[in-house]
Amino acid sequence: MAETDDDVRIFPVETRFQQLAKRPGGIPRDKALAQAQAKIDEAKPAFDDWLNQQLDTLVDVVKGAQTQGADAEWAEAANRYCRQLRDVGSTMDFELLTFIAGSLSEILDAITMGAEFDRDAIQCHIDALLLARQKSYRGIKPEQVPELISGLRRVAEQLSTSLP
Amino acid sequence: MASSTINFRDTVILIADASSYLSMLVHSILRGFGATKILEVRDSISVLQVLSNQKFDVLLFDARLPPYGGLKLTHAIRRKVDNENRMMPILLMSSDTRETAIRRARDAGANMVIAKPISPASLYDRLAWVALTPRQFIDAPTYFGPDRRFKIEGYPNGVGRRKGDKIVDVAEESGPALAQGDIDNLFSAARMGKD
Repeated sequence: MAETDDDVRIFPVETRFQQLAKRPGGIPRDKALAQAQAKIDEAKPAFDDWLNQQLDTLVDVVKGAQTQGADAEWAEAANRYCRQLRDVGSTMDFELLTFIAGSLSEILDAITMGAEFDRDAIQCHIDALLLARQKSYRGIKPEQVPELISGLRRVAEQLSTSLP
Repeated sequence: MASSTINFRDTVILIADASSYLSMLVHSILRGFGATKILEVRDSISVLQVLSNQKFDVLLFDARLPPYGGLKLTHAIRRKVDNENRMMPILLMSSDTRETAIRRARDAGANMVIAKPISPASLYDRLAWVALTPRQFIDAPTYFGPDRRFKIEGYPNGVGRRKGDKIVDVAEESGPALAQGDIDNLFSAARMGKD
């Protein structure tokens, strides 16, 4: 049924957030961003532990697929860890790790949508992630390791073209 | 925009993300902005529970928040007539920045979509926009939420949007990921006659 003007009510809203935000005494943007960055820096030492834990769990999940089979449910479970690595990596100066996790996430998405489980494609991404988590790779951008990146892209593209 | 300074003191913020680390990062960023009243939960069931007991000023949650997902949760919050948090700003954090995903978030009633990975600047500028830009609400049989027909004229101090940004055309079901500026434009597309 189509909506008529009589069905629609339009009204102004000023939320409490808007009222609070406009009060004097706030922190200027530049200072707020600097303070936020300092808070992120404080969290960096804990990142290594978190990263190792996430990656170890992802490795275990992938190993599980080799023994128990890899269906869409498995791919989604593995992808949860992968997405978390991707989403946090850039913020913590691990851009290469973010790129690799993003590429693996696309592969897992493809499996969820019906592509075949490609053990080699996944294993080479896992190996790349284990390499990229090393401290010596912090601050390294994907374009600084073009051979690795082009190899991963090639593997991911092959899988996406195999979608039913 | 007259001022880009936002006072976050006493603002009650709810962060909902299954990832404890990402949630902690967003929490840390908000602390840096001066916010002190921040609560974290890990799933959408917890969101609904805390919303029934407490009033919040801003809700920040992951678009894939288990078990219902961010869109269903947004829709549920907006449609619940007796919920005092019904009109609070909802910002969805999403790594799925395809146009269709952004459009669904907007149509569910989200105020904004923030692309992951989140940076202090991207979060601050979008919160500032939500705080400093008046926006009407629409109550219709098929939609309750902030007016989708708005135009982003620019963020405070002219940041957060690129000079060459263009309005995004309506796309097919799937497509490439959008940059944050394109996401913002998609939220503004309706007024421009593209939606």
